[in-house]
Amino acid sequence: MKKLIELNINDRIYEVAVDARDLLIDVIRKKVGLTGTKKGCGDGDCGACTVLIDGKPELSCIKLAIASQGKKITTIEGLVQEGGKLHPIQQAYVDHGAVQCGFCTPGMILSSKALLDRNPQPTEYDIKHELSGNICRCTGYKRIIEAVEAAAKVWSKEGVQ
Amino acid sequence: MFLNHFEYFAPKTPAETMELVARLGSKAKILAGGTDLMVVMKAKAISPDYLIDINGVEEFKGIICEEGKGAVIGTNTKLAEIQFSEAIQAKYPALAYAAGEVGSSQVRHMASLGGNSCNASPAAETPTPLVAIGAKVVLSSISGERELPLEEFILGVRQLDLAEGEMLTKFILPEPAQRSACRYAYMGRRDAMEIDCVNMAVSIELTDDGETVKDVKLVMGSVYPRPLVSKEVPALLIGQKLSDQLIEKVAEATQGEAKPIDDIRASAEYRREIVKVLARRLLKEAYAAAQGV
Repeated sequence: MKKLIELNINDRIYEVAVDARDLLIDVIRKKVGLTGTKKGCGDGDCGACTVLIDGKPELSCIKLAIASQGKKITTIEGLVQEGGKLHPIQQAYVDHGAVQCGFCTPGMILSSKALLDRNPQPTEYDIKHELSGNICRCTGYKRIIEAVEAAAKVWSKEGVQ
Repeated sequence: MFLNHFEYFAPKTPAETMELVARLGSKAKILAGGTDLMVVMKAKAISPDYLIDINGVEEFKGIICEEGKGAVIGTNTKLAEIQFSEAIQAKYPALAYAAGEVGSSQVRHMASLGGNSCNASPAAETPTPLVAIGAKVVLSSISGERELPLEEFILGVRQLDLAEGEMLTKFILPEPAQRSACRYAYMGRRDAMEIDCVNMAVSIELTDDGETVKDVKLVMGSVYPRPLVSKEVPALLIGQKLSDQLIEKVAEATQGEAKPIDDIRASAEYRREIVKVLARRLLKEAYAAAQGV
């Protein structure tokens, strides 16, 4: 039996009809139509489906949509700045060549944002430890770590949100 | 990979939760973080008829950690909260460290402390330091509450001393004694998103002279169906001062007690070797920390 629920995604309220078993990733991609969030393993291992829920990184492929009501959900689309400008973390990923095939990138960037929100001056170990739930098969991670370090510099200088 | 159809409940208070747990019994599963539950449901290993989502119940969350009064941790406190809690880091560093090594950042923001014990996986991270610290669990039902040491609560692989209609609601941690320390270590194939092949926690309390062992508890994970509390370590160490020969003897004794299995993560032989390595390392670390070095 479907139930009508409200989801707050990127500060916009979406009314969607969901079944109790519907997963947040499928609702975001198929019902809401925001396809920036990727579905990788579907088992909570790869981190491609990472979204921020009340600012904390969570795995939308093992999260029920119905359990996400009343929370503030941020997907990669929600990071866009005024005038369609890229978010400083996105820009840093582009500048440092941290994006290759791009499949892991939305999750990787949201995990980076959660890290920098909590700890604006992370060490290399902090970055590795906090991004360890996001798997990238292209870059070898080096450029991703460099991008986060660069974003952290912009972050502390400009105080970005 | 669809989940089975189930009915979803989201109680707001402990009383509503207990009523649901009593009424729905074993046909229901409690949903806290879902990082274990959703995965086994996707794999169709279990197909519960009802899910009781306890994330709306504020009383099940949070850490109360006051000076001199130990700590009380709600069952649905997220592992990330424990990892980053300054009070827990100061008073129970082994627990904060173990919580910070579970899965990934995303998993730690979803998964709960209660779930990590109730999933009853032999390789779980947090039950090992919790048992070493001497944590108790509070099991609640509509008819009341009972307390149980965590080591008696986890009976084996996916087996708990949990009656129908009962649920785990909080952990009670005793105040660490003067001149005591607890340390945790693990070994696995890599650091992130792995399941430990051996984990271990050692808690040591020293007498007033700051050298003689007054009490010691060594707990091993992933080498037995449940957290294994060594019986030989206290027998060998209490009343003694730690020396290299004694550490070697104790490490060999723990190796004899561990009953690991061969599996995809490591062979039993390797695990037994690692038990010795971790025992040696942790005894030294915990002893030095208890001395305040």
